[in-house]
Amino acid sequence: MQNKSSLIGSAGWALAIALAIVFPLALSSIYWTSVMTNILIYVLMAVSLRTIYLVGEFSLGHVGFMCVGAYTSALLTMKVGLPFALTLPIGGLLAGLTALSLGYPFMRVKGIYFVILTVVTSESFRQLALNWRSLTGGPDGLIGFPGAGTLSVPAIGQVDFGGPNEYYYLALSVVCASLYILNRIEKSRLGFTWLAIRETDKMAGAVGINVLRYKVINFGVACFFAGIGGVLLAHSEQALSALEGASFGIMTTIYLLVYMVVGGKRRFEGPIVGAVVLSLVSEFTRPVEEYQPMIIGAIAIAVVMLLPDGLSIIPEKTGLWGFKSLIAKSKTGLGPRHRRV
Amino acid sequence: MKLSFLEITKLSKFFGGLAAVTGLDISVDRGLIFGLIGPNGAGKSTVLNMIGGTLHPSQGEIFFNGKKVTRLPPHTRAGDGIGRVFQENLLFTNFTVLQNVLVGYHLQIPIGLASIFRKTSSNRSQEETLLKKALDTLEFVGLLEYSDEMAINLPHGRQRLLCLAVALAAQPQLLLLDEPVTGMNAEEVEGMAAMIKALRGKKGITCIVVEHNMRAVMGLCDRIAVLNFGRKIAEGSPRAIVEDKAVIEAYLGAEEDVA
Repeated sequence: MQNKSSLIGSAGWALAIALAIVFPLALSSIYWTSVMTNILIYVLMAVSLRTIYLVGEFSLGHVGFMCVGAYTSALLTMKVGLPFALTLPIGGLLAGLTALSLGYPFMRVKGIYFVILTVVTSESFRQLALNWRSLTGGPDGLIGFPGAGTLSVPAIGQVDFGGPNEYYYLALSVVCASLYILNRIEKSRLGFTWLAIRETDKMAGAVGINVLRYKVINFGVACFFAGIGGVLLAHSEQALSALEGASFGIMTTIYLLVYMVVGGKRRFEGPIVGAVVLSLVSEFTRPVEEYQPMIIGAIAIAVVMLLPDGLSIIPEKTGLWGFKSLIAKSKTGLGPRHRRV
Repeated sequence: MKLSFLEITKLSKFFGGLAAVTGLDISVDRGLIFGLIGPNGAGKSTVLNMIGGTLHPSQGEIFFNGKKVTRLPPHTRAGDGIGRVFQENLLFTNFTVLQNVLVGYHLQIPIGLASIFRKTSSNRSQEETLLKKALDTLEFVGLLEYSDEMAINLPHGRQRLLCLAVALAAQPQLLLLDEPVTGMNAEEVEGMAAMIKALRGKKGITCIVVEHNMRAVMGLCDRIAVLNFGRKIAEGSPRAIVEDKAVIEAYLGAEEDVA
């Protein structure tokens, strides 16, 4: 059973990636390509937000670390002239390191207190970007920094990622690589330890797990990928604004949380499904934009009431495609396949 | 001064104005099963929490194995060899029984960056060894046949045993058991008592037991300390304790002259 469902799982991933590759070619619309690029970025954001939930915490400040990554990369390419290939990891690292240093005080508190700390942090970052005129352009925003430019790709050679289609494929590969890493971490003993802390941190501490350290590592990893998402966003639009209504406002954070909940936070695929489905809903309801929060909200409420584990749980619930798994069986590398025969 | 295996000196804990424990001196030799008893609110669990590290004392010191551990966090003490079974069944409830024990083995293999991305033969064999050890531990507490069961689905008595198995997985030298037999039926109580004796006998683990079940305590412990209102009122062998006047008073009240 384990083999069968993991086979189906791999097939599902392959299909999803194939679809993602073919879509821009099939639609051949610059508009839709840029929409898809945005969806990819929010997929990464939602998945990395769920990573924090692996230790049992919710962050409402994920977008703040996205902001750190975005401004870091934009400023480095514009003012220092570093290439995208360098600013991408630097943006992620700076976001991750910021999270590591904030994680030590933050992860000492739990639940709603942690949520409050994250939300004020992300707002502070946004306010900093909004008011540091000389560096970030203040309310006028930051424009005129370069896109991804020409990068050398192994096996292909020099590729210009300036166009929307090319940039889409660049974002796709970065997001896929990030998701792969996050998935591997979750299934490793590190992820297993995170889940144990979520179950009961008191007992975890009593068997020698340094709870605070593992929670801080978790926060750092998750925010690193938020930073990566920010870099991708910055060079996709080549314009940044720290205004409330723009990308780094509180609403984005809330949407990320809704993506995660609607898609389902139990499974790794959950936030991906949530981000894709709800982004498409937003896209198709653009003509009635003022009702969008209401529509998304109604969907969220309906899903929470009817399917508390989110949309991604449907195959498992209905036994579709031979899915049969429990969190413990699928989520950790040390499942019952090790059973003594 | 020669320190014994666990040495507690002048230990006090105040919660605001309430003195939960005052001036407690206890020394426990290696290999003992040491009972800590007393009426409700006597401070037994508080003492255990201070030894385990979930509470820090207001005054006094705790030495374990000659090392001062008074202010160390719980996970460091676990590394030093202090294990813990909590009063409530604290388990990784959404994990299987086997996975619960595997969490307990956390300290035995360090988590390396490499182990995340590739399965080298060395860390695979390490995992295999760990797994075998975990299954042995489950066999020891008698839960082997439930290894794939979710911990949350076990009845109370077996959850208690699983708590013990998780604590044992961390390879403790000193095990703190907070009411290990509470809520168990007579048969389970006997099983648990036999298990604790076997721990001492086979694995050489020193135990400190806090318990209300007097029959279990008397049959189990080599030495008992009695607490009342945060102070030690008696210490000695079980036989000496049952005959101690202060202890009888603490439990039954003072005898009054009825004229």
